[in-house]
Amino acid sequence: MNWKLGVGLAAVACAALLVILAKGFGKDPHEVPFMLGGKPAPAFALEKLEGGGKVRLDQLRGHPVVINFWATWCGPCKIEHPVLDWGYRQYGSQAQFLGVVFEDTVESSKAYLRDHPTPFPQLVDPQSQTAVDYGVAGVPETYFVDAEGVIRGKYVGPLNPDLLSARIKDLVQPVAQAPR
Amino acid sequence: MWDGIPLAILLSAVLADFAPQQAGSEPLTPALEGRVQKLGKQLRCAVCQGMSIADSPASMARAQLDKVRTLVSEGKSDEEIRSYFVERYGEWVLLQPQAHGINWLVWLGPLVLLLIGLGVIVRQVQKRPVSTAPPAERRSQSTRASSSEDEYLAKVRAELER
Repeated sequence: MNWKLGVGLAAVACAALLVILAKGFGKDPHEVPFMLGGKPAPAFALEKLEGGGKVRLDQLRGHPVVINFWATWCGPCKIEHPVLDWGYRQYGSQAQFLGVVFEDTVESSKAYLRDHPTPFPQLVDPQSQTAVDYGVAGVPETYFVDAEGVIRGKYVGPLNPDLLSARIKDLVQPVAQAPR
Repeated sequence: MWDGIPLAILLSAVLADFAPQQAGSEPLTPALEGRVQKLGKQLRCAVCQGMSIADSPASMARAQLDKVRTLVSEGKSDEEIRSYFVERYGEWVLLQPQAHGINWLVWLGPLVLLLIGLGVIVRQVQKRPVSTAPPAERRSQSTRASSSEDEYLAKVRAELER
């Protein structure tokens, strides 16, 4: 009787261990979860890199917004740069594009943008406090905010034209039709 | 000397770009800064291998610690500050998981295993045969039992007892 209890307990312990391992092996332990989906985008008021005042998120209410966090020291950001330029030319009338410089100096950002100008505003984020408000864990990361000011999606890594098109099409759809 | 270093690593070390180190925000008063550092030890750096934001030299960790400092200076409680990070980075950000749901396994698992181990030890101790025979008789019993198992050992014991 006792040995049966022992075997039963061992079986339960092994099953629990297997469930935990199966759950853990299915996930990348370094992947930071996306928690702000469906929640209001954190407000910000950030200076434009080239001067000319601040951009406030609440002033853009009524327009979908694409917020791209990037840095000059980030190789994938440089790969992504022309895709965002293309995206702005294609969809700039439907969505407001914003770049936010992450953990970089104003000087190097300006120098890079002199050689690779962007048609949309680039913002300075002192001590990356807005990036932390958005849950940024590296660059490039791009957040898609709908016209109501709700975060509808996030993309980690360099965007390609197909992905950007699909995300913006989702963004400009009414909320009810948006894919989860 | 350089033969062992792959060219790719050398090139990447020479040519790669790095995030410029930026100064963190000014430390608060000792009491408040103590809270900042204590909270920082509880929060996982987003770009490191299991390091806290208080211990990591990464620029991302510095930015997160600056946010802790801002929230402490705004008068937020420790729980509010932990919640702020959990809302943005998930429970993943807590180096010490909260005790609820499946997390109880992490907290109670070691205790349960310890109790099972203690139970096994107690059972084994209780199972040990208790002999009431006098020592001399016990020795001869032991010799007899052993001799049935190993003839050679019995002979050695007999030689020793002679």
